[in-house]
Amino acid sequence: MEGIVATGLIGISLGAQYALLALGFTLIFGILGVVNFAHGGFYVLGGYLAYSAVTYLGVPYALAVIAAALGTTALGYLFERFVLDRVIDDHLATLMLTLGLYLMMSSGFLVLFGPQSPAFSFPLTGVLRGHGFYVPIENLVVLVVCLVGILLIYALIYHTDFGRALRALADDRAVATAQGLRPKLLFPTAFALATGLAGLTGALVTPILSLAPHVGDPVLATSFLIVILGGLGSIGGATVAAFIVGMVEAFSAVYLGGSKGALALFVLVLIMLVVRPSGLFGHRVRGA
Amino acid sequence: MASIDLGTARSGAIAETASVIIIAAAFVIPWISQNPAIYSLANQILIGVTAAFSVYIMLRMNLMTFAVPTFMAIGGYTAAILGLRHGVTDVVLLGIASFMVPALFALPLGALVLRLTGVYFVLVTFVLTEITQLLLFEMPGWTGGANGLVGMPAVTLFGIELGDNRAVLLVTIGLALTGALITAAVTRGLRQHFAAIEENELLAQSLGLVVWHYKAFGFAVAAGVSGLAGFALVNMLLTAHPTSFSALSSVNYIAYTIIGGKGTMLGPVVGGALLIWAGDIFSLRGEFSQLLFGFLIVVVVLAAREGIVGTASRFVVLPSSRAPRRPTINPGSGALGAPAATESRP
Repeated sequence: MEGIVATGLIGISLGAQYALLALGFTLIFGILGVVNFAHGGFYVLGGYLAYSAVTYLGVPYALAVIAAALGTTALGYLFERFVLDRVIDDHLATLMLTLGLYLMMSSGFLVLFGPQSPAFSFPLTGVLRGHGFYVPIENLVVLVVCLVGILLIYALIYHTDFGRALRALADDRAVATAQGLRPKLLFPTAFALATGLAGLTGALVTPILSLAPHVGDPVLATSFLIVILGGLGSIGGATVAAFIVGMVEAFSAVYLGGSKGALALFVLVLIMLVVRPSGLFGHRVRGA
Repeated sequence: MASIDLGTARSGAIAETASVIIIAAAFVIPWISQNPAIYSLANQILIGVTAAFSVYIMLRMNLMTFAVPTFMAIGGYTAAILGLRHGVTDVVLLGIASFMVPALFALPLGALVLRLTGVYFVLVTFVLTEITQLLLFEMPGWTGGANGLVGMPAVTLFGIELGDNRAVLLVTIGLALTGALITAAVTRGLRQHFAAIEENELLAQSLGLVVWHYKAFGFAVAAGVSGLAGFALVNMLLTAHPTSFSALSSVNYIAYTIIGGKGTMLGPVVGGALLIWAGDIFSLRGEFSQLLFGFLIVVVVLAAREGIVGTASRFVVLPSSRAPRRPTINPGSGALGAPAATESRP
């Protein structure tokens, strides 16, 4: 019983991280129609930016996280504005561009920082003990920040004019543009928001898990899983699916061991893609 | 890109013949050189090019596939298991098996995934390669798990053992040539069918083309060609290991095809040869070559959409031999094939 509670908490904490990543991924697909292969790259970039700020500039960790989020936001904005936007209507071209960016990013990290994981750890340590279970404080902090982040995204998307504009563009770009919304302005902003979320997650999570040039690969795969499961472009779907995936990973790691849980998830997603490409909650955003 | 005018058809035929000749010409390498470094480079290039042919076949139908390592793994492990557990060493038998098993495997799989197009097909093939990795580790009884399969007996041809460096290269060349011939035959024989599917699948179907037959056939052939590359890789490395078939290695094969030029069969040949050679000669090993690939992909997509071969042929081929381009039905499909059919909304 205690084990189940502890595992459940790990699952929730994983789910919150995944949700923050997947929300960015799904926003980019829903609004721009772009499958962002560089999403994992922005996650790693966030981690390295925070690490550099703490190590070389002596900035406090909390500020470093904010700096990392801002840095990845800026890079995302520039990349969309000056590279992606030129071929924005061609799904496969944008896919290749983000893939190219990811290759450059991950080898760039390797050149700059080397293959070893740098010494980068969370400033707060300690364990919170409850009735027979315990939670590391760092996980709790990450969980709280992620949950706040998720709530802010929801508020932004559903309760502001900016969010309404983004949803209108996702719904029908032609009509939204005819009504006066400007994709030239909104697309880079939306992309920057999503990459900023990835960077924020990276800055928060890499000190706990690990920071290395290639930790973005599994992040990309997990984002794929979640977003397909929840329905490409669906915000609610991505959130729910993120917690499902977090729970499955936590419980299968503790009770099954090996990669059986991951295998089960991938097969589930494969079946989902074939039977219901729109995902658990989505409607077909862009015809399959 | 898919305009079916005679000029394109002719330059396509030239490119196919040239590709086959270039690969066949590799047979001279074992006779003019003893240098193991050159043997190794030639092996890598031929295997990479064969795998890139698979991407090229799928792109004929406007489908971007990440599943090449999946079928390479099936082909490679098939050959390894046959050699190790069943004592099959005849290279012809192993080659046939490494083509047929992935191809047969692709048929039921194709029935599931070929209903998807555009981004969804990309995602499903990416998920497939991830599943492949996990399965290779989770089925140690068949695949040797994390240890892989080692200690295969050397392959033989008519009872002659092909074990040394030179013989391994000869086997690789033979497999690559087979892959090239199959690719050329299929893409030339079905040029118009594939072009119709690439241009507008819905229209092709309504004009009476049984699209599903051709897509399933193309998918199976692409899988078989990947399988040949997988066999060549396993034969070169003397081991079948999950890391040889990683999900992100598919990115390399896509890079060879896109950077070389996806318009003709010469594209994967030139792209694969140049990129693998560049990675070798500048000692840009492993990760550094990824930097180059990433940069070149961005350049090609933004600036030279027809890749090296397409861009070069525009300058090299006499302008007079090129009839003025007939406007295509879907002018937007220039780049990586804007998915006309996928833009339709319910």
